[in-house]
Amino acid sequence: MKQHEQVLFKNRSPGETAFLETYRKSGGYQGLEKALTKMSPEQVREEVKKSGLRGRGGAGFATGMKWSFFPADKPGEKYLVCNGDEMEPGTYKDREILMADPHQLVEGMIISAYALQIPVGVIFIRYAYEQCSRNLERAIAEAMEAGLLGKNILKSDFSFELHLHRSAGRYICGEETALLNSLEGVRANPRSKPPFPAQKGIFGKPTNVNNVETFANVQHIIAHGSAWFKNLAFTESGSGTKLYCLSGHLERPECFELPIGISLGAVIEEYGGGVWRGRRFKAALPGGASTPYLTAEHLGVGLDFDPIEKAGSRLGTGAVTVFDETTCMVAATLNLNRFFARESCGWCTPCRDGLPFINWLLEKIENGQGEMGDIDMLREQIRNINGRTFCALAMGAMGPMQSLVDLFEEEIIDHIKKRCCPLKT
Amino acid sequence: MTDLLPQNIHDALAAKAIEHLHPREMIIEVLRAIQDHRGWVPDEGVELAGQILGLTPLQIEEIATFYDKIYRQPVGKRVIHVCDSIACWSRGAENLYLYLQETLGISPGETTQDGTFTLLPTCCLGLCGEAPAMMIGLKAYGRLTRERIDEILATERAEAGA
Amino acid sequence: MPILTIDNQQIEVLKGTNVLEAAKGLGIVIPHFCYHEALGAVGACRLCAMNFVEGPVKGIQMACMIEAKDEMVITTTDQASQEMRARVIEWLMMYHPHDCPVCDEGGECQLQDMTIAGGHDIRRYGGKKRTYSNQDLGPFICHEMNRCIQCYRCVRTYQDYCGGTDFGVLGTNQRVYFGRFRDGRLESPFSGNIVDACPTGVFTDRTFRYRTRYWDIEEAPSVCPHCSLGCAVIPGGRFRELQRVRGGVNKQTNGFFICDRARFGGGYGNHPERPRVPRVDGAQTTWPEALRALRKRITDLVARHGPGAVAFLGSPRASLEANYLLDSWAASLGSRRIAFDSHWQHDRSARVAAGKLGPRAASLEDIRCSDFILMIGVDPLNEAPMLALAVRQAVRRGVRLAVIDPRPVTLPCAAAHLPLAPEALPDVLEALAGGDIRRLGRREAVLLEGILEQLRAAERPVLIGGPDLLGAAGIERLLDTARLLASEHRPCKVMTVLAGPNSFGCGVLARQGPDFEAILNGMLAGEIKALVCLESDPMTGSSDPARTGMALGKLELLAALDYLPTAAAHHAHLFLPTTAVPESAGVYVNNEGRMLLFSSAMDPGTPISVSGGGDHPPRTFLPATPGSEPRPAWATLGHLQGRRLSLRDIRQAIEMEHPNFAGLSSLTTGGEGKRIADISPPPETAPEIPFPHSEGEGTLRLYAMEDFAGSGELAGYASALAPLRPTPFVMLGALDAKQRSLSDGQQVRLRSELGGVGVALRVVPDLPAGIALVPRLRGTALESYVPGRGHYDCQILSEDEEKT
Ligand SMILES: Cc1cc2nc3c(=O)[nH]c(=O)nc-3n(C[C@H](O)[C@H](O)[C@H](O)COP(=O)(O)O)c2cc1C
Ligand code: SF4
Ligand code: FES
Repeated sequence: MKQHEQVLFKNRSPGETAFLETYRKSGGYQGLEKALTKMSPEQVREEVKKSGLRGRGGAGFATGMKWSFFPADKPGEKYLVCNGDEMEPGTYKDREILMADPHQLVEGMIISAYALQIPVGVIFIRYAYEQCSRNLERAIAEAMEAGLLGKNILKSDFSFELHLHRSAGRYICGEETALLNSLEGVRANPRSKPPFPAQKGIFGKPTNVNNVETFANVQHIIAHGSAWFKNLAFTESGSGTKLYCLSGHLERPECFELPIGISLGAVIEEYGGGVWRGRRFKAALPGGASTPYLTAEHLGVGLDFDPIEKAGSRLGTGAVTVFDETTCMVAATLNLNRFFARESCGWCTPCRDGLPFINWLLEKIENGQGEMGDIDMLREQIRNINGRTFCALAMGAMGPMQSLVDLFEEEIIDHIKKRCCPLKT
Repeated sequence: MTDLLPQNIHDALAAKAIEHLHPREMIIEVLRAIQDHRGWVPDEGVELAGQILGLTPLQIEEIATFYDKIYRQPVGKRVIHVCDSIACWSRGAENLYLYLQETLGISPGETTQDGTFTLLPTCCLGLCGEAPAMMIGLKAYGRLTRERIDEILATERAEAGA
Repeated sequence: MPILTIDNQQIEVLKGTNVLEAAKGLGIVIPHFCYHEALGAVGACRLCAMNFVEGPVKGIQMACMIEAKDEMVITTTDQASQEMRARVIEWLMMYHPHDCPVCDEGGECQLQDMTIAGGHDIRRYGGKKRTYSNQDLGPFICHEMNRCIQCYRCVRTYQDYCGGTDFGVLGTNQRVYFGRFRDGRLESPFSGNIVDACPTGVFTDRTFRYRTRYWDIEEAPSVCPHCSLGCAVIPGGRFRELQRVRGGVNKQTNGFFICDRARFGGGYGNHPERPRVPRVDGAQTTWPEALRALRKRITDLVARHGPGAVAFLGSPRASLEANYLLDSWAASLGSRRIAFDSHWQHDRSARVAAGKLGPRAASLEDIRCSDFILMIGVDPLNEAPMLALAVRQAVRRGVRLAVIDPRPVTLPCAAAHLPLAPEALPDVLEALAGGDIRRLGRREAVLLEGILEQLRAAERPVLIGGPDLLGAAGIERLLDTARLLASEHRPCKVMTVLAGPNSFGCGVLARQGPDFEAILNGMLAGEIKALVCLESDPMTGSSDPARTGMALGKLELLAALDYLPTAAAHHAHLFLPTTAVPESAGVYVNNEGRMLLFSSAMDPGTPISVSGGGDHPPRTFLPATPGSEPRPAWATLGHLQGRRLSLRDIRQAIEMEHPNFAGLSSLTTGGEGKRIADISPPPETAPEIPFPHSEGEGTLRLYAMEDFAGSGELAGYASALAPLRPTPFVMLGALDAKQRSLSDGQQVRLRSELGGVGVALRVVPDLPAGIALVPRLRGTALESYVPGRGHYDCQILSEDEEKT
């Protein structure tokens, strides 16, 4: 296992959380100091733009670009929101950050708030991450105490208050506009875009939403420069490191910080300890539950936004879930689809009712009651759900679903012909 | 009211709500406070939240029923949330879920006779690295095996004072 | 204005139009559920899929969510968009019960239509069906959740449009549920709109349950007679009975929705005691007999005492045509003693509005589009409910609303309320019109300054006032204020709520004629020997029921034409039955002077449910329909003058005589109606009219106010509204209550010149000192308290005090 430069996991040590003292010793809050004393908000935005940082929440939108749409220079009520919902199956990187070193998020948000000239921030944390919430509470209190947060940060004339919002479940809250509704205390259905949150967010005010990992990268970029950050990546197009959370049929399903662009095979073999029980690799979700499967032929693909897209999938959240040769892909996809159907907000028809329709089809096939016509029906369902829903949740569900019929059609046919699941033991 | 919310917490929330420009924002906070104290949110809890925040019970209920971690039905002293998402599924969660049902003698959604445990499925808990996983109350448990489940249940049962 | 191509046809639409509407403009109607013109596009159902071939967006898109743009080329008949629509329908039908045969929506169900239109026939889904349990939503609305297709229209109507807070969406995913927190009556006074809004049979009209299939009901576009706004309604009758009322569409007035008083208050025409047969001196008789008797008695009276001995009373709830014919009858006899509203202030207010409102009249649509609203002396929810909704739509857009009124004025939206005693309103109007603001208290002056500032800054401000507290004098001042505030570049519109559906029309007809006070005095003095009442009941309608009763007692001849079992009809020497609104055609002129045509949905007759004793119709065969004697008042009045006139003739005659009504005879039903032409020059200023209140002197001044379901004459005869009528209560300010050691909810004794009654006390924190309020509640001890006649001196005592 080759050691790569640890940026976000610098202070990670098993079972421990780094708080202010440790964090400062490792260079923490130097980025903030640099930003506040040596840089204008515009310069901070420019540096982030040059760094090529792309959002780590799943959509991979360029952070600098997103920030450039934000009315930073317009005075008034504005909000900075951290998306800590992290409920995409397979994904646990934000949790790792908050368990290991929560000040990274706090500092990242303060610098981002300065860059975007935002006076108020909210961290939205999912229900299951109670320990993370407590870590953050402590980190926020420490930062306040140390004059790093609150009024006149580091004696500058920049002030920023940061709140924590604990949620109560539901994956859809991670969709950024649903998240805004959730924060406002209305039902967490997504909103239609445009207007984008940068124009009309919380209570109609400009709001910038980023993921925990995205924010956590910001102070490192400011402290060490965009060139350094770009250089961390393996690929030309990529920049920075990525927290890859491994799960599924691996010997060592853990979260690793690795240069962006490292190959799928290398991650599996070198870091994940290879497929468990000496079995063979069958498929992987390269970026969380809403990304299409990759198969053995893709093991050489670099885990970076563009290369994965070329291979027909998405980097998503960088959560790699591996399936061994004994896995029934129909059953796996049914499991994924059940998740999406259950987490549908219930707003639009194809997601609310179409996903349960597919559940029924897959259950039928898996139980050996499928008919050949079901495959066409499945394709037709996918065709009419994909891209036709109000938000991207159902589109996410169709990621693995589409790859199931594209890559594993033989396996489905096998189910239908044998009138049972051929892989069930 | 005291069995819904301790007076000091009630007063603190009420004071905060009055100060708040948009008391609506506090719905989940208030519901979770009631749930922390009472174990679940009965109808009276919804009404109390409405009183504190100046909203109708329906306006609270619209939010309360959106989230799966707000319990609108009685639950046991400990709620077991078993992850049924893909990473845990891939590592045998289905069997452990069945094992839990057998051991506890209840189906999903039910509460044990002694009122200690309620069993519910949940989506991914962010413990995929330690799959299969579950959460009891707000406590996370990973790397589950039948043996570990037995141990955990015993400890939790003892802690719950049953 | 963008030009786009849909299915090879080009259309130019207004900027901002969505593609679904644009297609509709070409006659291409694409199935949709969640989109509704009044509720907007939300993109939930995903049914209105079209294929965008060229232009800024490409591929299958939801047409409701896309603004029409130049150079768009769109198809709706291509395979991809058709397949999408078929799938959406299939998904929506996955769990739908097969209960069309017992569903009240059957036949007028959008889901049925869309299922066919969407090309879905056989259900392929074979999984478990989702089911729900229903709630008891009260006496008006049935709940059948299994039929739900989650278009969210009900909640968007109930919460967003109407401002209700006790009904909403619960749950998530495929288990979203539309209902209340608990069983119970829907509290919004606009609750019934969810029946119209629901495209399937989840919410149906309980009062109409299992009574008639859509294709068997007789419907026609009509106008609501319950207040002066002229909302479009569609009454439906069957078995000689008005069975339901649903909302009609008039974009200038109600838009798409109506209030529950309109919807569930149609039963007045079915009233079991409705007099249906002509009567002379208490005995039933034939039409020829009755007409001959009436003509003869009037001729005799005129011969004996001169034409001045016969007086006439028209009515704001009678059609323009009937009122006009009454007027022309009086004129042909040579009598100038005709009034059109027995309530003196209401009559005068209508005349002021009719004479002076002119182009400043605001429609409800103007209010919805306004950018600042000042309401003074008007209580919309009780006096003109849909006005409250119009105001709400403006407030939803962020418009400020200021309310100056002593009453609690509940509204379905936020407002700044300045509770001032009625006696202070003249000063406020004075101040608004540029007078001395210092006559008001300091706090009030500051607030008023603020309001004036906003009024001046707004681009489309609207002032709204009502006759009960302002009276004619106040309405006149309000109009003056608007004139002063308006400039060439900036209108300042006014809405005056009036008393009845045709008050405005009556106001035009009344001109400089006498009012009912003069007629009353003539009767009391014995100069007037006969009174002909057209669909009016001065016994309960006038400002002074007691004096009116006395005056009527002196008459030699009281003749009544009506469809209600009123006191006047009961006491009349001569009674002629008329048709109720849903059984008639005619014109109402609403409070902004909009001429609105209503047509007849059904013929009059004793409901089969009555003649058959609630069972099967009787098997005796009669040549005529039982109870079908009522005739349109205009036909009877024409007949009495020996003229055979059609409605068209009458309308033409009205146009000739009153140029304001130009265009009347070319009106059609179902549209937006037509504003009357403005009189030029306006009539000479009427005599100085006093405000309906004087300075207070110490005792409690009691004002009567309207109640949503309890006060209206028609509402009083609509039994279905009973659950909405409150038990009698009196309202008192917190301070006054405290001084009297009275508390909220307590039973108290209310004593005034009208006697003493026991009522419940409601303490209203910011009710001005010295003021008490009662709702006028027909059929209760509070019936004789008439709103709009000024105050009654009263005392409020605790029950114990009363005993000692
Ligand atoms: C259904 C759905 C769930 C999502 N969940 C999350 C989440 O849990 N965390 C997150 O950061 N982004 C989530 N996203 C993506 C967000 O919408 C948004 O793109 C992201 O928070 C932006 O931050 P970034 O630019 O830093 O990635 C989700 C998107 C969808 C459609
Ligand atoms: S796709 Fe539609 S129903 Fe599904 S989560 Fe998004 S908005 Fe809700
Ligand atoms: S899949 Fe079980 S914790 Fe993530």
